[in-house]
Amino acid sequence: MSASTSIGFTGRSSGRSSSGRVADDRRPGLGRLTAVELRKMVDTRSGFWVPIAVALFTLAGAIVAAANHGGRDGTLSHVFHVAAQPAAFLLPVMGVLLICGEWSQRTTLTTFTLVPSRKRVIAAKFGASLIVSTVALVACLLFTLLCASLLGHATGGVGSLSLQVIAQGWVFLVAGMVMGLAFGAAILVSAPAIVAYLLLPAVWDAVVGNINGLAGLARWLDSSVTLAPLTQQAMSGTQWAHALVTFAVWIGIPTAIGWARISSGDID
Amino acid sequence: MIEANSLTKRYGGRTAVSDVSFRCEPGTVTGFLGPNGAGKSTTLKMLCGLAEPSGGNAAVLGMPFARLPNPGRRVGVLIDASAQHSGRRGGEVLATSAQLMGVDRARAAAMLEVVGLDASAARKRVGKYSLGMRQRLGIAHALLGDPEVLILDEPANGLDPEGMRWMRELLRDFAARGGTVLLSSHLLHEVQATADRLVVIARGAIVAQGTPQELLGGGPRTLVRTADGGASNRLLRRALADAAIVASEGPDETLLTEASPEDVGRTALRSGIALAELRSASDAASLEQLFFQLTADTQPHQHSTPAQNLEEALR
Repeated sequence: MSASTSIGFTGRSSGRSSSGRVADDRRPGLGRLTAVELRKMVDTRSGFWVPIAVALFTLAGAIVAAANHGGRDGTLSHVFHVAAQPAAFLLPVMGVLLICGEWSQRTTLTTFTLVPSRKRVIAAKFGASLIVSTVALVACLLFTLLCASLLGHATGGVGSLSLQVIAQGWVFLVAGMVMGLAFGAAILVSAPAIVAYLLLPAVWDAVVGNINGLAGLARWLDSSVTLAPLTQQAMSGTQWAHALVTFAVWIGIPTAIGWARISSGDID
Repeated sequence: MIEANSLTKRYGGRTAVSDVSFRCEPGTVTGFLGPNGAGKSTTLKMLCGLAEPSGGNAAVLGMPFARLPNPGRRVGVLIDASAQHSGRRGGEVLATSAQLMGVDRARAAAMLEVVGLDASAARKRVGKYSLGMRQRLGIAHALLGDPEVLILDEPANGLDPEGMRWMRELLRDFAARGGTVLLSSHLLHEVQATADRLVVIARGAIVAQGTPQELLGGGPRTLVRTADGGASNRLLRRALADAAIVASEGPDETLLTEASPEDVGRTALRSGIALAELRSASDAASLEQLFFQLTADTQPHQHSTPAQNLEEALR
């Protein structure tokens, strides 16, 4: 071992310092940071299985919706709606873990010494979330087409899936994962962040929705109500307004808190 | 090159680090010494931009750490070897950082070899690593970007004696090539053979800094013990006085003097006095004594913990 000590690193004697440094010293671009975040998402034991679980549940959802439609039509749009649910549930959890995993495993010490600009790290995690949720949407579409055409036997064919609903499905998955990211950033501890993400919108509805006169307001922020139409039908203006307000509040507030906590706090 | 200028860190009303200043020059190894909780890690985190100083500032390679465009290529940092994802494989930890820094993949494998982690260790998940293996992985990670500066917090923690000797050689070698090394420890013997300079911190403040020789100052240079105790001690003392060497009583029936061991030995030979012990006094033991004096108020019993006694015995 000690015999190999001197090989491998070139040291710092006179020659290398100026010219050789310049190329090395460039700031890593956001693309590279995003690629690294994607890699870190899947290169751990748990990280490896979560996307596989998403894929399997999506496939299972598509099969069940296409084959066993108990009275409802096994149409593309119905299969798509069902197949999108597992990803809609699990991607936000991945979003939470993408942030909180670093804090719970204390890899922040490494991450932020290699990339001192914490905002760039968060931006890369955001980019990674966009890519993952887009891949999830594509998988969801593929499974939907596959299952509906192989297993679907609705009278009058499988119907069609409008581009708008597909786009809405993308918004649904991206926003869900980003919401998870935002709750993760605000809370920084996995379990409470996941619980907060799952419960806050519902608790909000239970508390505020029961106050006379505020039931209407609750409607705008209960994500289980406002986001449901995204994968079901081409949405109306009012439905969009509800969904956008939900996003603005449940992404905006935790993001603001998380941004403040991460950009200035000390790293333990 | 590392510079800390009046670094201060307050948490609420408590001051964890107070007015800490020191410099580490290229080509040297600096040992950052102090008991647990003295403020070493907090200081190192302020150097690396992980903690915001309440006062003062720090520069690495002439600029604040956070301004380095691709810090991993110029500064190797190990703050806590256990701060790794337990489900990630050791080789993957290095490969990921290599990708981030833009370092050739092959170098990640080469660094594992340098620190003595073999292919099967590289495939293991870090959660299954011993503390010593984690330290080696952390050191490999610090070396990955072929840096000019190393900042290592307690890198010897968990290393076996052979591992410590290996790390000593590695850091000496790194400094000999013009690199700057700052390593912290709460155990003097971990750094005394490696460090050119010592910075001693206690209760958040620097209590001493300089080369080991400077720290020991103008103290006695030589310790001598005669074979026959009391009477021959007096005899030797007289003989030394005849040779114009002043000696004083040391601990355990020894004599201490400013003369060199060689001069003392020759004087004893001329007078026919048998010696049981003759050695330089500016050695490990006296440096250790100084260290405990400097840091005593916080940890009065630190020098007698069983773990340390055992460590001494194994050494």
